[in-house]
Amino acid sequence: MQTDVILVIVIGTALAFDFTNGFHDTANVVATSISTRAMPPRVAIAYAAALNFAGAFISLAVAATVAQDVVSAGAITPTVVFAGLIGAISWNLVTWYFGLPSSSSHALIGGVVGAAFAAAGPSAVLGDGVLGKVLIPAVVAPIVAFVVGAIAIVVCYRVVGRLRPGQVSRGYRLGQIVSGGLLALAHGTNDAQKTMGIITLALVANGSLAAGADPPTWVIVSAASAIALGTYSGGWRIIRTMGTRIIRMDAAQGFSASGAGAAVILASSHFGFPLSTTQVISGGVMGAGAGKRLSAVRWGVAGNIVVAWLLTLPAAAAIGALTYGVTRVFGTGSVGPIVVTAAGLGLVAAAFTRRIRAGTPVPAP
Amino acid sequence: MLATIVDTEALLKTILASFIAGVGVTLIFSVAILGASRFADLSRDGRPAAAIAFGLLGLVALLAAAVAVAVGIIVMTQK
Repeated sequence: MQTDVILVIVIGTALAFDFTNGFHDTANVVATSISTRAMPPRVAIAYAAALNFAGAFISLAVAATVAQDVVSAGAITPTVVFAGLIGAISWNLVTWYFGLPSSSSHALIGGVVGAAFAAAGPSAVLGDGVLGKVLIPAVVAPIVAFVVGAIAIVVCYRVVGRLRPGQVSRGYRLGQIVSGGLLALAHGTNDAQKTMGIITLALVANGSLAAGADPPTWVIVSAASAIALGTYSGGWRIIRTMGTRIIRMDAAQGFSASGAGAAVILASSHFGFPLSTTQVISGGVMGAGAGKRLSAVRWGVAGNIVVAWLLTLPAAAAIGALTYGVTRVFGTGSVGPIVVTAAGLGLVAAAFTRRIRAGTPVPAP
Repeated sequence: MLATIVDTEALLKTILASFIAGVGVTLIFSVAILGASRFADLSRDGRPAAAIAFGLLGLVALLAAAVAVAVGIIVMTQK
């Protein structure tokens, strides 16, 4: 009974995380389409939400990586998964509050690794999996997206450079409806699967599912729904800020950037690499900017992304470990997670209230 | 040591697939725009043979781009 209560809290927390993931990333997915006026904002967000939902169903490779290759399933309890999720959500809120660009995906993996380390020692962390399936692809993917985006925009200008700009823009705007849709599909595929993997890990830890099993259908449907709802409801608030911050792109750059991002995320999802979709999309956008003019790229933003990348995993891991320690103060039952959840909700409410009173716009992730 | 930890083959395939899909589809779609644009210009200039040739080029490129996207999604679902 006690573990079932914790499991319900874990699943609720994981779906809340998935919702905030969609909420945070809406702007990244639709920014290029809106910036180049390929689609009106309302249509772009509804379209992205629908394709995020669909994307969650097309692969399970990333969910398998998160559930099997990051931490040892034998050493994991629902409380460990809960502490990891709190680590990820807390770090996301801290970075949101201070306007730092961060990756929800790295925060999630960092949180779970930290909590597992605190619970069962270093043997609970699968170092090879973390390095080979998470850290190295996390470095490589944004660089590949940058290079693909840069080459793609050079190819575009080579082929259509002497044509009438109006016709070319109309063509790439139409193309962006497809490439932007693929980007939303890719985002749903990679990001929704991380939540599926975490819920599967909790179900295995609770004994409700055999180790190595695929996520049950209800887990896939609920994760897909949570990220799609987050995408749909998040857009309105964040896009206002994002719309004024992104680089002014032409339609060809928007097409190249979203195409590069979609290609890298879809290929990585196929091989089970859980990426930061935010960083890959940023890489594609910067590549499409640099391919046209090197100075068009905000290298300061690129520097912030690198700093956030370096900080996210250890910081989320530390919060995950600390959260696990706090829950254990109340014993092994459900009291610890309930107390931490109540305290967390109180802190979130206080942070939101303070932010709204300050009147500062919500920073983009 | 690192080569044994990292699934080098999967990582290289990811990079290769990203390049082929990202740059390849962009190239094909750009050719489709070129074909459509030249078709419109040449039709207006009263050169129907050249217009039809560019129109066909654009159509074939558009179909190739659509097929590439469809194949990509089908490959994604088969693992």
